[in-house]
Amino acid sequence: MVFSSLFFLYVFLPCCLIFYYLCKTIEKKNIVLIVSSLVFYAWGEPIWVCLLVLSAFVNWFASQFIGKLKKESKRKIVAAAAIIFDIGILVVFKYSGFIVENINAVTGLGLPVPQIVMPIGISFFTFQAISYIMDCLWGTVKPQKKYLNFLLYLSLFPQLVAGPIVRYSVIDDEITNRKIRAVDISEGAKRAILGIAKKVIVANNLYAVVEQFFGTDITNLSFCGTWYAVILYSLYVYFDFSGYSDIAIGLGRMFGFHFNENFNYPFICKTISEFWQRWHISLSSFFRDYLFYVPIFGKPRKYFNLFLVWFCTGMWHGASWNFIFWGLYFGIFIFIETKIGKKRLKKWNKVWTHIYSKIIIVIGFGIFYFTDLSQLGRFFMNISGISMITDGNAFADVLTRDSLLNNLYLIIFAIIVSMPVLQKVKYFFYKWGNNTVYAVGQIGGVLICCALLVISSILLVDNTNNPFLYFRF
Amino acid sequence: MENNKRNHDNDKKRKSGLNNLSRKGVEHGFAVISIMIIVPVFFTAVLLLTVLPRPEISEIEKRELAKMPEFTFESYFSGEYTADVAEHYDDTVPFRDDLKNVGYNFKSIFGIHNEDEVKVVGKPSVVTKPDNDKDETSESSKHDTSENSKNETQQSSSGDVSENRPEESSAETSDTSVQESTEPEEVTVENGIIVVKSNGHYRALELFGGGSGSTYAQALNDFHKDLGDSVKIYSMVAPLASEYYTPSSYSDFNASQRESIESIKSKLDKDIVSIDITDVLGQHKDEDIYFRTDHHWTPLGAYYAAEAFAKTAGLDFKDLSTYKKNDMEGFVGTMYGFTGDANLNNDPELFSYYTPDNVDKCMTYYYTTDFQYTGKGRFFNGVGDIRSAYLTFMGGDEQIVKVKTNIKNGKKLLIVKDSYGNAIPGYLFGSYEEIYVVDMRYFGLNLVDFVKQNNVTDMLFTMVSYSAVGGNADNLENLRTQAKGKKIVDEGLKDEE
Repeated sequence: MVFSSLFFLYVFLPCCLIFYYLCKTIEKKNIVLIVSSLVFYAWGEPIWVCLLVLSAFVNWFASQFIGKLKKESKRKIVAAAAIIFDIGILVVFKYSGFIVENINAVTGLGLPVPQIVMPIGISFFTFQAISYIMDCLWGTVKPQKKYLNFLLYLSLFPQLVAGPIVRYSVIDDEITNRKIRAVDISEGAKRAILGIAKKVIVANNLYAVVEQFFGTDITNLSFCGTWYAVILYSLYVYFDFSGYSDIAIGLGRMFGFHFNENFNYPFICKTISEFWQRWHISLSSFFRDYLFYVPIFGKPRKYFNLFLVWFCTGMWHGASWNFIFWGLYFGIFIFIETKIGKKRLKKWNKVWTHIYSKIIIVIGFGIFYFTDLSQLGRFFMNISGISMITDGNAFADVLTRDSLLNNLYLIIFAIIVSMPVLQKVKYFFYKWGNNTVYAVGQIGGVLICCALLVISSILLVDNTNNPFLYFRF
Repeated sequence: MENNKRNHDNDKKRKSGLNNLSRKGVEHGFAVISIMIIVPVFFTAVLLLTVLPRPEISEIEKRELAKMPEFTFESYFSGEYTADVAEHYDDTVPFRDDLKNVGYNFKSIFGIHNEDEVKVVGKPSVVTKPDNDKDETSESSKHDTSENSKNETQQSSSGDVSENRPEESSAETSDTSVQESTEPEEVTVENGIIVVKSNGHYRALELFGGGSGSTYAQALNDFHKDLGDSVKIYSMVAPLASEYYTPSSYSDFNASQRESIESIKSKLDKDIVSIDITDVLGQHKDEDIYFRTDHHWTPLGAYYAAEAFAKTAGLDFKDLSTYKKNDMEGFVGTMYGFTGDANLNNDPELFSYYTPDNVDKCMTYYYTTDFQYTGKGRFFNGVGDIRSAYLTFMGGDEQIVKVKTNIKNGKKLLIVKDSYGNAIPGYLFGSYEEIYVVDMRYFGLNLVDFVKQNNVTDMLFTMVSYSAVGGNADNLENLRTQAKGKKIVDEGLKDEE
């Protein structure tokens, strides 16, 4: 089930909310959430829901030992076993096809490529499990005593399929002890609606444009057309992904959970390092905390770990070489930036650092888009202008011009919303004015949210659009 | 005045009252108010979506909406059942078509509208100019289809609907093995849609990807071989509207249909008569010969084509002035569903069709695609919804139709067509004794046997370039070879007077 569908919004969610608020005790509320989450997951993965339950059990079981064992070495062995299990799941379900394909390509063995369809959200819940095991090992959290509570943490449907990767420590207390205040419900609902609007009104329509350019052979695409499409694609990914995070955070809050922010206006960054402190924060902080600072093969090796982290970050996004290139691409720029040094970077002209970082990010999303490496090569030829010289590609074309005109307001709106404008407006109503200003802001905000919900729902009707010309009456 | 002043004072008091409250209390209060606004809005929507009757068909999309699936363990564990339940719910939203109209209107605020605006739908790509070998012309379009399935799953709501052409889907279902074996240029000619504004009206144009139509030509040659000289074969391929109305700035994205049609002509046997209507229609392009909001030509456009056919074939043919003109206002055709462009829906057109003076003396017999007789009736039918006005002609495509006219000249015509051809037979009621109408995509018998058994004298292949050059043409060879020797019985004969 996806958040941006009418079935989720108007069947699943209301049922879940009604049962949740009908239950008085936190234990019963948790049961409602577990059942809802499993139904939610089983809706898309009727078989692999067992994997989720099993993964929760194995990790919970391991954590019990980690909590009880006195000897550090034994605790480490148990933790290692659990993490090998988690990574094993990922390797089998996400990377086995990719690995075998590459072995075949290198050795020419012709091994049968396993045709495993990856269960939804596996990358997210597996990483949550790993973070939990590591935190238990390091003693930053106490192992959860009850299996069901741990299952709730791992399967909680708002963050199950598309993140953020919520740390156990973030909701540890809230699992058994949370108060749901009116502010949580109203703010949560508004946040979730905002997320839906970001996805349905902005992201989906940007994607339609991107597909017009990149969804077909890009050999003849003009220089401007390539830049235009890849910029829109960057905006699309931001709105799609941060929209989902908003929905997760909002829904979580409606149930009384306070997840950490996952995006912090990434496009206002001045350096690539800063970008990654603002983009998919739960993932980058995961790799920072559980991989970068962890001594591997004896002692921590800064630059080796840096590239390892970026290799893994890339690979996490998908079992395809372009994602690995994408990760390493960022690794290179972060390496360069660390070599230059933060202080020196700060002194640089802001305009130039903005331009530099945006260009790198936008080209990065091109690498992210093209899983087909020959198309990716073509993309580089086009975006660099080389294909204008070698193949006579146009500098600009009519398609780009008209597409820009057709979508100009949407694009301007998207760019504005991707900047912290809304945050400033909110801040004005909240902090700057008196209670009357606050009241106006609140009522205005809630009415806008209602309108956004209605508009998004109407646009969602077109989701199953599939015109057929010769219908037989 | 005094009253106003008092009110103002009251307001002031109230305001200052609000401002005196603690921020925390105010926050809580407005959170409660927010909930009291959002919850009723949300649950009203839930209620309406639950209790209101759900539509079963979509007029805009011309299709049956998803049905509630039946539960089986197999379908459940494959994930199909749950997916279908959700799809049924999402697909059959109450007032679906009306809500879509609202949604499309909303989307039209995304961009700038000016006098010569062009909206692009689908994925047009530059068509390679055929220097010497035309068979390479639609390489770009070929890529298009391979991407289709991927994109659909990735982004069903992309609004990119141009791939779901029934011509393609029917060709796919009819025989995939044939499709695989065809030359690459025959895969598809679809190259996106543009909606242009000119003279204050919006017009949707399907851009043409190009192609040489060799499968089509080969099939006709084979028919000729099988049928010999006893049956005269005619080929009349109509260009899409884009041949005439595409703005020059988009010429790179629109292959020449004249070239494709000429390429077909050059490949046809000498005994097959090719009727070139590109120029004929071109002479009338300032008239309404193509719908602006639909992918078909208008009945007027079909008239000029039929006239050209009659002239070439030496048939009796009556002038348009002898026909009765029938007008239906407010027609918005299929291109609205394909493009989702609100401008088309807000700019409806006139649907005019022409009935011959001997229409009451002619009888139309309807059969299934396997030639099972289903009943007799009229050729021109009333349609329930103006959006389906093109169904006026025989009510659709998936059938075999026979028209018996009051003419006694021993001439029998069989028309092999796509939906463009539907508008043709009505102009030939004075030219032939019998007219058979067969859709190239929906015919279950052996066409050679069928032609021989019914003593057909003339055979007219007429369709739009899209079908002749694209995947639909693959099916022509099937019509010739399939179900050979199967007995063909015309049960409709009993019903004739």
